[in-house]
Amino acid sequence: MNKTSEQQIDQSAKFAFSFFVASAGLWLLAAALLAYIAAAKLTDPLLLSSWEYFTYGKIKISQANAFVYGWGGNSIFAVSLWIIARLSQSPIRGTVFLIFAGAIWNLAITSGLLGILDGHMLGHELLEMPKEVWPALFISYIIIAFLILVVFRSRRQKVTIAPQWFIIAALIWFPCLFLFAWNGLEINVGRGTLQSILSMWFGQNIIWLWLTPVALGCAYYIIPSVLNRPIDKYYLAIFGFWCIAGLAPWSVVHHLEGGPVPMWVPAVGTVMSIAMVFPIAVASTNFHATAFKDVSRVWNYLPLRFVIFGTLSYTISSYIGVIFSIPAVAKLTQFSIINEFHFNQRVYGFFSMIIFGLVYHILPQVTGKEIGTAAKNFHFWTSALGVFALLLAYLIGGLTHGVLAQQPTLAWITVIDSVKPYFLITEFAFIILGFSQLVFVLNLWKVIVPNPFSCCEKNVEQKTA
Amino acid sequence: MNNIFKFAIYIFLTLAFAWLAFFVGAKNQYGDLEPTSEYLEENKSVPKDADLFPKSMSGNAQLGAKEYLSLGCVTCHTQQVRTIDAGFDVERGWGQRPSVPRDYILQKEVLLGHNRVGPDLANIGLRGYTREWLHKHLFNPQILVEGSICQPSPFLYDVANEYSTGAINADNEADDNASTIFIKPTLRANRIVSYLESLKQDYELPEMSFIETQDEDAEDVEDVEDVILAEESTTKEAQSGVPTWLADQIASGKEIYSKITPGGGMCVGCHLPNGLGQPGAIPPLDGSDWVLGDKERLIKISIHGLMGEVVVNGKKYVGAMQGFGQTLGSPLNDQQIADVLTYIRNEWGNSVSAISPEEVKAVRDSHKNRELTSMWTEAELQKQNSSD
Ligand code: HEC
Ligand code: HEC
Repeated sequence: MNKTSEQQIDQSAKFAFSFFVASAGLWLLAAALLAYIAAAKLTDPLLLSSWEYFTYGKIKISQANAFVYGWGGNSIFAVSLWIIARLSQSPIRGTVFLIFAGAIWNLAITSGLLGILDGHMLGHELLEMPKEVWPALFISYIIIAFLILVVFRSRRQKVTIAPQWFIIAALIWFPCLFLFAWNGLEINVGRGTLQSILSMWFGQNIIWLWLTPVALGCAYYIIPSVLNRPIDKYYLAIFGFWCIAGLAPWSVVHHLEGGPVPMWVPAVGTVMSIAMVFPIAVASTNFHATAFKDVSRVWNYLPLRFVIFGTLSYTISSYIGVIFSIPAVAKLTQFSIINEFHFNQRVYGFFSMIIFGLVYHILPQVTGKEIGTAAKNFHFWTSALGVFALLLAYLIGGLTHGVLAQQPTLAWITVIDSVKPYFLITEFAFIILGFSQLVFVLNLWKVIVPNPFSCCEKNVEQKTA
Repeated sequence: MNNIFKFAIYIFLTLAFAWLAFFVGAKNQYGDLEPTSEYLEENKSVPKDADLFPKSMSGNAQLGAKEYLSLGCVTCHTQQVRTIDAGFDVERGWGQRPSVPRDYILQKEVLLGHNRVGPDLANIGLRGYTREWLHKHLFNPQILVEGSICQPSPFLYDVANEYSTGAINADNEADDNASTIFIKPTLRANRIVSYLESLKQDYELPEMSFIETQDEDAEDVEDVEDVILAEESTTKEAQSGVPTWLADQIASGKEIYSKITPGGGMCVGCHLPNGLGQPGAIPPLDGSDWVLGDKERLIKISIHGLMGEVVVNGKKYVGAMQGFGQTLGSPLNDQQIADVLTYIRNEWGNSVSAISPEEVKAVRDSHKNRELTSMWTEAELQKQNSSD
């Protein structure tokens, strides 16, 4: 690849990338604040209770949505834009449309969350934002995804590699998922628990087929490119990819075990969840066999340290997830706060850590400016500590919760009393994570918007050029 | 994946297959479940005059479901009793039997949930809590259950230091220093409590009967209490002769009849609490042939309204009543219309059969093309009647 064209590509991505990363950062902070309030309300339910806006249920649900669509969505746009442009060796076009659609996306989420807080939420998992905002979200998404696909279509090399499959697939999965779910939940509404099956299917697949593949694609991109060595056993990657594509949409419904749905639904889910060990093993071998050949480089290059933290966390907790989908174990943990463990490990421990790494990797190339090492290290260690404390508390707390809930003679309040200490730990973990992310976002903004005036000038230059 | 279009199609198909199985497949399997009775005839048909289950909720409870949804109670409460292989829900006393798909077919908001920070609520209506208890719990769970982390909703109540009619004493029993407070439920609080009361899977279905738990005969104090409670409620029912579902419908109807605020029918404003109307202007409902007679006609005028000269109990009245189906103001849905009509058919001296939401829906559907603002006249109704 020749240097000038790389610089041209970075230059073309600069504005859109900065826009998406900057908005992602704001959403991350919003989500962190909401997460803290929700956690604090579990230790003291009377906190802020006289304001209807701060009801636990509403806060909890808006936190998940802010995290997945606000932080997740924007950062997916940012990193996929840059990675796809780099790999295609083709510059980004239509920045104006990207920014325009991005602005709509963010406005729609903002009004969606206000709608939830104001009491207009829908009852479907991760589709809780009010009906009215979805068309806007969908259309702005289509514009952004289309522009990324245009870059991909104009690539120089016909042959494609793993990061491209994962990212492009994720970009296509989201609108398909949405249309399937919307059809069954709002248009041809299924009666009774059909809705619950579909809502569970959508909510879990958003994590499995949207956030997860993008993060995996990022890891497939950054590990070989930084270490300058090919992915170990690369030929397995395509098998891993189609395993996820083929299994994940079936596996996610195992959470309905024993519920009022036809028996085969959770049964299929369980079998497929257990089969997920294959793609997990593939990704894990690919990443770690490659990374451990050059441990010192991984350790010293901070973005890569973030990414490897993420992939390790992916491996470990995906295996834990498989174990918890085995019926004998699911009996204990199905409805316990283990569910929080699964959600948080996936969005914090895996997805966010990898995105942090990618942002630190891309930012200097696009803007020409570095974030200070001390700040980056602080961010890494506090994130690692926060994630670790959070996940451990949910894991052990979840097991306690699940096991005690299966003792029919124990009063429910006794069960909850034994889980309370873990809620307290999660509250502290969210404080740590909040600070850590605050540092990240402040530095990010300082780099992206060094001075509002110089930024505007550059803007004008770019447009006239 | 060198060809993006081919690739996109594969990606689409991975989802489409799963969707076909889980949604279309499951829909074919059980999408057309209907209410049924506990025992079927030999040829699998529902016996005539059998009581059908599940019943649809009263209008008030349906509105309560919306409130329950909007407050996010589902983040901590499930509404599903799992099968006995899958967990100890039945042993825990969360239901007399596992929940089955048929239990949910009439619910608009199916809130199964998948987190149990709080107990399962699929049968909260059977746990013998009084309305007052549920109100206090909704206001602030900690005054009833020490250390509860259930979400308090004090904003649904008017709080005062002195008693007024309809208020509930909500002192914190655990805290001696707390001052006396009284809470008065708002409309929304009443709806939520009605909803909670309506959550009960207390009937058997052909596909699932009650499950006997092993410690049935254990001399558990709670169990004994439960039995007493249950006996009380059945004797009460036997005495008044009104089945619970009808009592529910009438109670909900009464609320709609009497409510001037949105969510109510405002009937009381014109027809008065005694159902006698106002001489010369507003006809009476008590003993009226319009109320006690032809159900279809009654439903028609409730949806579209009535105007012009009418004869009620031998007296002439000229006036107009707008329909309650139109979208202006706060329209009543099928269930609410059914409830309020059932109420006026069973209040004062009236006592005739109930009207179900399905009947209201049938009438609404058969007059789909009629403008909701175009009111019926007596002459038009008579003509229609004689023509068909
Ligand atoms: C933070 C999680 C949480 C949320 C949100 C929540 N609850 Fe609870 N709920 C609990 C816990 C824990 C208990 C058990 C302790 C108790 O009885 O107060 C409980 C108990 C209950 C009970 C008593 C059940 C029984 O069998 O004794 C009712 C009724 C109830 N909740 C209703 C609601 C309603 C209505 C909402 C929504 C406004 C709601 N809950 C929201 C956690 C929650
Ligand atoms: C604005 C005042 C008003 C309200 C509110 C109102 N009505 Fe009426 N209602 C009337 C009038 C006036 C008539 C007679 C119409 C005519 O003269 O054509 C009438 C007629 C009727 C009749 C047929 C005649 C009879 O007396 O049997 C029924 C039944 C009836 N109303 C039921 C209801 C119900 C149920 C509600 C509440 C959901 C309600 N009304 C609310 C004014 C009202």
